[in-house]
Formats: sequence, C-alpha cells, structure tokens
Amino acid sequence: MTALDSNEMVLNMGPQHPSTHGVLRIVLKLDGERVTSTDCIIGYLHRGVEKIAENRTYVQFAPYVDRMDYLAAVSNGLGYCLAVEKLMNAVATPRAQAVRVILTELNRIASHLLWLGTHALDIGAITPLFYTLREREAVLKIFENYCGARLTTHAFRIGGLQYELYDGFEKEVESFCGQFLAKVDEYEELLSGNRIWRERLRGVGVIDAETCKRYGVTGPVLRAAGVAWDLRKAQPYSGYEQYEFDVPTRTSGDTLDRYFVRLDEMRQSVRIIQQAVANIPTGPIMAKIAKVVKPPVGEAYVSIEAPKGELGYYIVSDGTTHPYRLRVRPPSFVNLQALGHMAQGALVADVVAIIGTIDIVLGEVDR
Amino acid sequence: MIKFLRSFLLLDLLEGLWVTFRHQSPSQIETEQYPSERPAVSERYRGAPRLNVHPETQETLCISCNLCAVACPENLIVVGSVRNPETKRKDLVTFTYDLSRCMFCGLCEDACPVDALELTQDFEIASYTREGLIWDRQALEEGPRPTQYRQ
Amino acid sequence: MATVPWEGPIPDLLRARLGASVLETSLYLDQPFAVLALPAMVPALELLRSEAGFDYLVDITAVDYPKRTPRFELVYVLYSYGRNERIRLKAGVALGEKAPSAVPVHLGANWLEREVYDMFGIEFAGHPDPRRILMPEEWAGFPLRKDYGIVEMDNRWVQANLGIESGQ
Repeated sequence: MTALDSNEMVLNMGPQHPSTHGVLRIVLKLDGERVTSTDCIIGYLHRGVEKIAENRTYVQFAPYVDRMDYLAAVSNGLGYCLAVEKLMNAVATPRAQAVRVILTELNRIASHLLWLGTHALDIGAITPLFYTLREREAVLKIFENYCGARLTTHAFRIGGLQYELYDGFEKEVESFCGQFLAKVDEYEELLSGNRIWRERLRGVGVIDAETCKRYGVTGPVLRAAGVAWDLRKAQPYSGYEQYEFDVPTRTSGDTLDRYFVRLDEMRQSVRIIQQAVANIPTGPIMAKIAKVVKPPVGEAYVSIEAPKGELGYYIVSDGTTHPYRLRVRPPSFVNLQALGHMAQGALVADVVAIIGTIDIVLGEVDR
Repeated sequence: MIKFLRSFLLLDLLEGLWVTFRHQSPSQIETEQYPSERPAVSERYRGAPRLNVHPETQETLCISCNLCAVACPENLIVVGSVRNPETKRKDLVTFTYDLSRCMFCGLCEDACPVDALELTQDFEIASYTREGLIWDRQALEEGPRPTQYRQ
Repeated sequence: MATVPWEGPIPDLLRARLGASVLETSLYLDQPFAVLALPAMVPALELLRSEAGFDYLVDITAVDYPKRTPRFELVYVLYSYGRNERIRLKAGVALGEKAPSAVPVHLGANWLEREVYDMFGIEFAGHPDPRRILMPEEWAGFPLRKDYGIVEMDNRWVQANLGIESGQ
C-alpha cells in the first residue's frame, strides 16, 4: 500500500456493485469527485477454462466456451468451431455456414439488447430495459426452438451443425427481423432524442483511435473512435463475404458514440440476417470429418468478430484428441484495460457509464 | 426559435413518455404467472434427463454401451451392468446421473445409439439437498416430480 | 508440423535488421510465424510496429513444453490495420529466465504479460506492474504449467482464506 496524499481518497467499487455487471472490483483513487487512478481487480470468476480445455477432448470442450461470454454463447461457439476446423483443414458446408451466420447475428442483437437495457439502467433510464428484454426474449426463443437451450446454447459442432432447422425457422426469423427495426427506432425515440441522456453521455470516457490501437481495443469501442474495422469485413469467415452490410462508425469515441454504434450494428445485423435467411442453401449440415476429432500436430490462431470485439482462439495440437494448449483471446479482457485511460479525470458517476459502454462480461474477462 | 420552443416545452421528454404510454395496454403484457402458468418450452428443450423404457414391456431401452458416460465432459454418468450369460448381452443394473454437475450440453443424448437417454422438457429439477440431485435409475425412468401448488 | 517457408517483405525485413536472431520464418495453414531469439523479441515488435505497420498487439500467451529446452514458448500475435495481415512471433523462454517486457512498445501488453506470469510464472523484466492478475496475489503455483494437476490447488491459501479444508 502506498502512502496516500492528504487530498486523496480510496474508494472500493465492487465486487458486489450492481453497475460493474458482475464481480469486477475497481480501486478508485479520488481527488474530490475526480478519479485520479483506477486499479481493476479481476479474477473472481476465474474457472481455469484454458486448463479445463487441456483435459477435455475437442468435442467435449465445446460446451465450456459458451460459459465465457455467456451473453454471446453462439459467437463463442462459432469461434471455437472455426479454430478447430482450421486445424483439421475442414470447412463447414454452405448450409451450415448460412445457419451459423444467422444465429451469430441474432446473438449479436441479443447481446447488444441486453447491453442497451442494462446500460440505460445504469444511467438511470429504467424503461428501455423492459423493452430490450422483451425483444431479446424473441431471439432466445428462436435459440430454444433451434437447439433446446436459451443461453448456453452449444448450437454448433465441429464440422457443422448438430441440429437440422426446425419447421418454421425461416418464418420466425423473418418475422422477428420485420418488426425489430421499428423497435430499434423506438429505443431511439426513448433515448437518442432525450436531452438528459445525451447530456449525460456526451464527452464521457473519450478514447481516440490511436489510443485504442495501442491498447488493442477492438469492437464497438474502436469503431466509435472512427476506425471502420470489423473482422467480418477485413477477414471474412463463415461466408460473411456474401452478405452486404456496412460497418457503422462514429468519430468522437465517447460513451454516446458507442451507444450509437451499437444501435447501428443491430440494424446491420438485421440486414445480414434478412439476406442469409432469404436463401439458405440446401444440402448436408455436417461436413465429412472424422468421427473422432483428432487434428494433426500444429497450431492455429483464428479470430472472429464477437459482439464485444475480436475473439480469438489459439490452439496447439499435439495430434491427440485433446488440445495441448488452448488460449482464448477475450475481447472484454483487453478492452477493460483501457478503462484506466477512459476514466482518468472523470467523475465517479461517469465510471459507471464507462464500464457500461465498454460492455464487459466478467465470465470472459476472468475465464 | 423552434429549437428553443422544443426544449422549453420539453417535447423531447414527452416523446419518450409517449412511447411508454403506448405500451400500457393490457394486450402487451408479457409476464407469465409462474407457477400457476407454466411456460411452454420447445420440443428440443434440453432439460431433466430421462432413461426411456419400452412403452409396452416397460423394459429399459438402454443397452449399457457406456457411450454417454464417455461422451460426457463432466464424467457425471456411471453405468453399471452385468453380462447376461444366456443372451451374451450386457444388462443394465444401475445408472447414476449427477445433475448437480450437468450443464445440459446434450452430448450424452447425441451419443446414445438407441435413444434411451434423452434430455426432456422438464425443467423443474431443484432439490433441497445436493444428494437429491444425484439421480439413480429409478428417478431417471420416472422423471422429476415437482411440487404442484394450488392456484 | 508440415510448414512451408514464409517469403515476402516482412521476413526479409526481420532478417535484414535482426540477422541471426531470426531462427525460423514459416507458414502453417497459411498463417505466418517467425521464431526469434528471446532478446530480439521487443526490438522485433518495435521494428514491425514502426516500419511494417503492425500496430495492434492482439495477444501474448505461452505454451509449456516440459520436455523441451527452453521449456516455455512465448507467442505474440500481431495484426496490421494497414496491411490487413496477421503474424505470430515466437520465442523460447527457459524456466526462471526473464523475458523483456513489451509494454513500452504496446500498452496493451500490460495485462497480457501479467496473465502469462500468473499462469506460467514467466517474469517480464521492466514490467510496470508485475503482479498476478487472475489468481489471488498470495497463491503458490502456476496453474497452466503442465506439471500442475487439474484439481491441484494451493491448500494453504484455501484453508487460510476460505476456512474450508479443500475446495473440492
């Protein structure tokens, strides 16, 4: 413990604070109401996922990845499956790829919806939470109908899909997309036009593009700072190159811009889903891969654009059925590092807003 | 001037309030009155496990192949069997399923070659004790029996 | 591992500036990687950042090979926004050897290096904040080493802090 300046006060925020969205503890040093330094204490939710991976087969480990970023379980599963497929030099069938894209984009919407609701709640706008959870419910119902689980879906398998689409999947997805855009406009009516909301968030937690790159920050935070970088565009995977969509960006990199970027991303996701669901290719849902997943000796790093940023899997195979080493590059963990920069000189109340817009999930930060 | 009037008359706030009022109609109520109203879960729902029996003979469908136990990431299934000297097949004796560690990934039901083990639509599996979550063969064949509350 | 040689401006740049410190430049599954001597790692990161545009340090991690010397392999994943390319740099680290810290080059290395230290016990010389990050500060042992069992734990810590005999 270093000696305290007489004007300095140490405030312990979390790990049981509702606005830290989990078990994050931040030791704030304050000069009056201003934050002079932050120290994030993480690891309360550490389960040793990477160690577990070394003790499971490739197939058995797939359900565990859902439990890292549990709000975007489908994205996690996609990244993992793509990484193992890369190691095995296999590619999922076109039908499987299209279904994967639909489900991951639905998951992006669900993740952003929960973010929007809880973030608005943190700021003091209670109403949006009920509406966003209602729309998220529709997405989760699609997941439930498709694979039998709502949150930790385990929807994809290495090489393709386990479940064939259920009757009425296309119709359900289309009807969701059809009414969802109007709902996003409704959130805008509630929040974007609201002067309290705008004044509260403008200029809070500013981070510029250069600093984002130095910290390795990705995802909506980077795009709100003006960098139009999205892995789905930069290095397309799972057939994203077939779909037409824009990468929404803003310029000032503050909390308000991150809010706008995420709203626009939901609209773009709807665009992708509508294109994908309009022509899902027919054919098998599982590629012809060996029944026992046993990649040759080697290593690969594969990353995808998860709702929170770049989610990477680095897998080292020693030619057995178990990964020799599996490393997850979690977007939340890396993005949270920039909190210190964003919160420097901010008010205590703004720290809540900043944590909210980085959009962390502690299950992924701690793994 | 218009901008001033807008902010003076709090139009932006009223716009948001109007959204809230639009959702006041009782037709928009989404809340389910659990437990008197139980949610309809989907057909593929992965809930409490069940060990299926033949509908007519009441004999178990399980052939004690142990594939579910091998597939399980958490190693929570234990299959006990004896070899029948007459039929040369394995007969199921015990089947233990530790629900307290189950994450309902569905790998066991995918592995089952005869559709004996199945994750069903039952979701009310809470128990007052940890031991109560370790299901034996009888519990698996009968399924969970949640308390029914009066309305 | 069936690798093919990696040719192009980046391996040429590395070889020209770092000479014999570049031990291998290969491609595996179309993913380029270079194996460097450990002291050349931070100069290589600096060189790639300033002259080849690799301005985004994606990840730092390590792999434990108990039977090899040196025992650990540090892996750096780099990405260039301008080139839209991803490369990996690797270097061996012996048990007890200190790796140079990459924080002066990439700010994001801070937590990533702390995690490598936490999980493997590889220390980084010149790191501004050399603490554990995920495990408790007083924890003994490094969980991701291969000789650390899956149910192993620091019993002393568990008893002292949680008041239970064992976490199992």
